[in-house]
Amino acid sequence: MAESLTSRPTLAAADAQQANAHIDADTNTGISNTKLGMWLFLASECLLFGGLITTYLLYKHPLEGPTPHEIFDIPFTSTSSFVLLMSSLTMVLAVSAIERGEHQRMRVWIGATAVLGATFIAGQIYEFTVFVREGLGFTTSRFSSAFYTLTGFHGIHVTIGIIMLVSLVLLSLRGKIPEHRAETVEIVGLYWHFVDVVWVVIFAVVYLIPS
Amino acid sequence: MTVTSHDNVPTTVLDGAVKDYSRDKVYVLTALFLGVVTLVEIATYAFPDFPVWADELVVPVLMILMAVKFFTIVYVFMHLKFDKPILTKLFYMGLVLAVLVYIAMLSTFRIWYHGHHG
Repeated sequence: MAESLTSRPTLAAADAQQANAHIDADTNTGISNTKLGMWLFLASECLLFGGLITTYLLYKHPLEGPTPHEIFDIPFTSTSSFVLLMSSLTMVLAVSAIERGEHQRMRVWIGATAVLGATFIAGQIYEFTVFVREGLGFTTSRFSSAFYTLTGFHGIHVTIGIIMLVSLVLLSLRGKIPEHRAETVEIVGLYWHFVDVVWVVIFAVVYLIPS
Repeated sequence: MTVTSHDNVPTTVLDGAVKDYSRDKVYVLTALFLGVVTLVEIATYAFPDFPVWADELVVPVLMILMAVKFFTIVYVFMHLKFDKPILTKLFYMGLVLAVLVYIAMLSTFRIWYHGHHG
């Protein structure tokens, strides 16, 4: 396909003309099926995490064992939350870089996102280890079961996200993510931001709101 | 001529096509804003007697701050602000359904009741 650079709609041109800054896909909705599928998946994930958060709210008053505010280390968790929050920035900068055709920069940002995500997971493993040492096992109380299930599920989501990020870097190094397939990076980014958004809710509801 | 995602456009043709327009500055400012909101959240724990969120005010204040962070990330970082409206509707469909279902569930279990839970 021979197409001149000037005839390609840029983000700037698209923004100037309409709210939609993305180039239309060849589908009825103008959105690629992959992206639509990811958004549908994320909508369904709202229900999954909604269920887990609701269960935690119902069971957060333990009948036995340590209470949440006896064991939570808020300064530590705040730092972890900040790390995850900043990983959303590096992720969106990676998407921006690939849209500009800057492959090396994209890999750097994605690598930074993966490192920040891994730091968050390391913090969560450390936190769980400390809690277990202080006598809060998975089956210690209804609170502990609900807490570990909720935060553990989130941790698994972050881990899957890290695997996807590493895969993106490897694919990029093999030259399999040219600019016209930047949407692949954007879709992984959507998943990563959603994981961050879920933590925003967990951090406030589980850690900060007093019993 | 419209470019679709299925067109096999050579990388060299697209290279640098959007270089002159970047939202990076918006993203960095958004992250700074989110960082500040997070600091305010942490301050509710560090300074619980501050008048703005003292006593029972802390829960609504935290819920508002959480909502601000949530929608900022969804709109700016997840591109809902720039993307097709159908994606916003799709996401809200799941979100609203989840909120309604679980408010109903919490109400069934009398979570709003301040008496003794047996």
